[in-house]
Amino acid sequence: MASTMPAPPTEAAARAANLKKVYGEGDAAVEALRGVSLEFGRGGFTAIMGPSGSGKSTLLHCLAGLDSPTEGNVWIGDTDLTTLSERQLTALRRDKVGFVFQAFNLVPTLTAAENITLPLDIAGTEVDRVWFDQVVDTIGLRDRLRHRPSELSGGQQQRVAGARALVSRPEIVFADEPTGNLDSRSGAELLGFLREAVSTHGQTIVIVTHDAGAASYADRVVFLADGHVVDEMRDPTADLVLDRLKSLES
Amino acid sequence: MWRATFKSLVAKKLRLVLTAISVVLGVGFVAGTYVLTDTMNAAFEQLFAQTSEASDVVVRSVSAFDAQVEGPGGGGGGDERTPVPEQVLADVLSVPGVATAVGDVQGYAQMVDPATDEVIGGVGPPTIGTNWTDLAGDILSLRGDSVPPASADEVVIDAATARNANLAVGDRIRILFQGPPGEFTIVGVAGFGDADNLGGATLAVFDTATAQEVLGKRGVFDAISVVGDEGVPASELRASVDAALPDGVEAVTSTSVADEASQALQEGLGFFRTALLVFAFVALFVGSFIIFNTFSIIVAQRTRELALLRALGASKRQVIVSVVLEALVVGLLASLLGILAGIGIAVGLQGLLGAFNIDLPSTSIQLLPRTIIVALIVGVVVTVVASILPARRAGSVAPIQALREASDGPVAGDLAGRRLVIAVVVTALGAAALLYGLFGAESDGASIVGLGAAVTFIGVAMLSPLAARPVAGGLGAPLKRLSVQARLGRENAMRSPRRTASTAAALMIGLGLVSMVAILAASLKASFDAALTETLKADYTLSTSSFTSFSPEVGRRVAALPEVETTSAFRQNGFRVDGSTSFLTAVDPGTVEDVATLEVSEGSVAALDERADVVLVHRDVAADNGWTLGDEVPAEFASLGDRPLTIVGIYDENRLVGDYVISLGAYDEYYTEQLDSFVLVTGAEGVPLAEVSESISAAASEFPNVQVQDQAAFREQQAGFVDQLLGLVTALLAMAIVIALFGIVNTLGLSIYERTRELGLLRAVGMSRVQVKRMIRWESIIIAVFGAVLGIVIGILFGWALQQALRSEGVSEFVVPVGQLVAYLVFAGLAGVLAAIWPAKRAAKLNVLEAISYE
Repeated sequence: MASTMPAPPTEAAARAANLKKVYGEGDAAVEALRGVSLEFGRGGFTAIMGPSGSGKSTLLHCLAGLDSPTEGNVWIGDTDLTTLSERQLTALRRDKVGFVFQAFNLVPTLTAAENITLPLDIAGTEVDRVWFDQVVDTIGLRDRLRHRPSELSGGQQQRVAGARALVSRPEIVFADEPTGNLDSRSGAELLGFLREAVSTHGQTIVIVTHDAGAASYADRVVFLADGHVVDEMRDPTADLVLDRLKSLES
Repeated sequence: MWRATFKSLVAKKLRLVLTAISVVLGVGFVAGTYVLTDTMNAAFEQLFAQTSEASDVVVRSVSAFDAQVEGPGGGGGGDERTPVPEQVLADVLSVPGVATAVGDVQGYAQMVDPATDEVIGGVGPPTIGTNWTDLAGDILSLRGDSVPPASADEVVIDAATARNANLAVGDRIRILFQGPPGEFTIVGVAGFGDADNLGGATLAVFDTATAQEVLGKRGVFDAISVVGDEGVPASELRASVDAALPDGVEAVTSTSVADEASQALQEGLGFFRTALLVFAFVALFVGSFIIFNTFSIIVAQRTRELALLRALGASKRQVIVSVVLEALVVGLLASLLGILAGIGIAVGLQGLLGAFNIDLPSTSIQLLPRTIIVALIVGVVVTVVASILPARRAGSVAPIQALREASDGPVAGDLAGRRLVIAVVVTALGAAALLYGLFGAESDGASIVGLGAAVTFIGVAMLSPLAARPVAGGLGAPLKRLSVQARLGRENAMRSPRRTASTAAALMIGLGLVSMVAILAASLKASFDAALTETLKADYTLSTSSFTSFSPEVGRRVAALPEVETTSAFRQNGFRVDGSTSFLTAVDPGTVEDVATLEVSEGSVAALDERADVVLVHRDVAADNGWTLGDEVPAEFASLGDRPLTIVGIYDENRLVGDYVISLGAYDEYYTEQLDSFVLVTGAEGVPLAEVSESISAAASEFPNVQVQDQAAFREQQAGFVDQLLGLVTALLAMAIVIALFGIVNTLGLSIYERTRELGLLRAVGMSRVQVKRMIRWESIIIAVFGAVLGIVIGILFGWALQQALRSEGVSEFVVPVGQLVAYLVFAGLAGVLAAIWPAKRAAKLNVLEAISYE
């Protein structure tokens, strides 16, 4: 099937082609994605927005290899996710993808430092100490590395999660409402940190958010509604995004 | 509230099943014990009743006490009564109202399998020789073309022996007796109704004259069975027969003989039952830990739900009741299943007995109302009691906790203040009771020891959360560098010390007892070794492999050999001192000191030769009773009644001969059956030992049950017995260990449920299913090994206390079998792997997306 598709452009970190996702069967079937095609260029910071039920979380899960689409293809780098086995998908998530979830990002029994190196430890890969130090300094939690998650504030926990997502130098980092549970100052710190990863280190990041302020940190905003991509915006500001969202909802 | 309870029960079927298994197994063990012993009892009662129908009245000599005191070994299985002279039969026959009367003889007769030249039976159930009488046909049913024995070389054998040794009518067979062995032709095969033998006993039936000759009953009968004329009541017949009897001979009705027999059986079965019940209660005790642990975890997981119920107006009391109610339902269902399991266990055990050639007369399985009631009470009480603490904890959940985010961090194992004090006090009380039971208690020592051990286990279980973190951490320390999943497994095991500790505590109990038994076994072996080295002066020992008594003919033949210097026989049997059963050893006063060390410090062995009513007593026994030389021991023998024995010597070394020593001559006077327990032999001066052993073996060759062993081989054989016993006890404790493993499965399963989100995260960031499984396996191994370490430490302490208590019984050495204990530790680790299989599978199957979008 992959051979009939156009070869994925190498400059894209991730790409979705005609992505459809249906939950349930028959009368109870719900179409969460109705044919989404998107590209995420290397070194880009993309925000996916849309009203609840628009399919933005489903899209993220499919892109990240956590969920499999009903139809269509997803590439991370050169790899077509729809051709991978469960085992290969797991390895891909470990090696090529970074994650930041809305909450419960950290393993409570591990220290902050151990949480950051978790994907590398799982893979049994040597940690690049220089890069690790750089990431840790960026999140500004060097003095907290030996603490367990329960001893960290919500904002600190999310920054540790961000560091974990970056430390393995993944192809792409996905963040699902990363600031959803944070106060605005902590949220701004986290977003600033992600922004810097993009600007300084050329990291590709995709976040799902419903917060226009958060979206304004991105280079590009993709608007989703009813499982379709309905609009895109380059160099967004909070006000522009807010206006666009209002028009979508009306 | 009730509905909430049942909803929660139904919703968590799996959890219910896992919790219930521990109760099902424990209750099953209890019920199975009752069902088995009741069934055996019913079977024998039926048989005794059947046997007693053959005659109305039995004539026999008067016995001082009914107990069938037997020395080590089965012998002929008859109780110790003096035989009745033959002419009594004539007296009985002349009594009006007597239709027929026959003389019965019984004694030791052990058959030798002609194909293998090995003895048949003799381990446990007796090997009986008896005579064919006119009444025998009412009890024994001849099979096929069998005929009764009619001449001096004919024998009828039991059907089980015929089946197992592949013997048929017309075959020749050698049979061992108290005197010289004999060769016979099998003329018949007989069963007891449908049963092929009688509770495992082998049977050889001869004509009366032959039986009297070979069983050493020339001119006498052991008993006379009397049948009355039609219409004469048994009690009347008994009275008229009794009037015609000489002194010392009595007539009793056959039904009362059957009652005596079943009473003796009851006692034997009662002991068997108690022994099995001890193990059943160990299993239940372990089960109660599992229940406690499960309910504690469930309550912790349901905190928000319970708080919500409280916020909606449920009272503290209602919450407590709802948890206890859940326990009640679980206990009830599990107990019912346990009763079914018990029937299965009983049937299985019966099949096992059959496999060891112990046939029971066929009866249906006996499920008495008592069994059901006991099983239900025990199961429900254990479950409910174990749930009370968790229920109280549930009651103390505050409504506000419904609104709080569930704590996600590791739960600290706080064991501060009051709780610590209680734990220390409980442990100390348990240990004190244990020590008091072992060293101080005058009576009920065993129960006090058991209770003390149980309380000690509870106390240590309460203390163990303190050790859980450091020990699990320490055990896991080498894992830290191994891999991230090993490290996570270790962290998870340390995460909730109380949970880890109480899960491990269940395993601790089983392994503690197993280790203790292993230590006791090793100490026993070492003590035997020491005793033999220090007391045995002989070159060779004659004994049977199962340590049953054997024909004195062997000793006589060996004594006649020119290669042999000294042959000294030892016989052992029971008697009563001051009304309680003791054992004595009969020795040959002329030779005993040439083959064994007695260390006679007052009086002399030679003094035994002067009269029959004298005895040597061990120093400790004399001291305990305040006896000195010349005092009388208030002895009582089954055959002759009161026979005070005068102390003519006091000795220090009791490891070979026990506490009382009489002469063989006196033994002959007090006991009917004359069989040797063991014979010690020294070679003649100047004859090479190899030659001595060869000629002894040749002399004993007709007795395949007798082994000729030098000291090393004899010692090895002793060790073999101990190992057998160790194996049996360990097997019976296996149930407790299996239940503890279910406890680990249960805890891991519940923990995994609790950690769904965390597992989802690990899978999302790239942990493979295999790695998830490994992580859980490591956690399981650490919990299991932690339990094993605790158990082994306690086992060593218990074993030491036990050995100290048994010092005076001859367990002089304390040995810790390190290799074996290490093997147990490794086994515990492997068991941990086993226990992790299901939870690991479950965790690996987790749907990542559902886990991370949980809530």
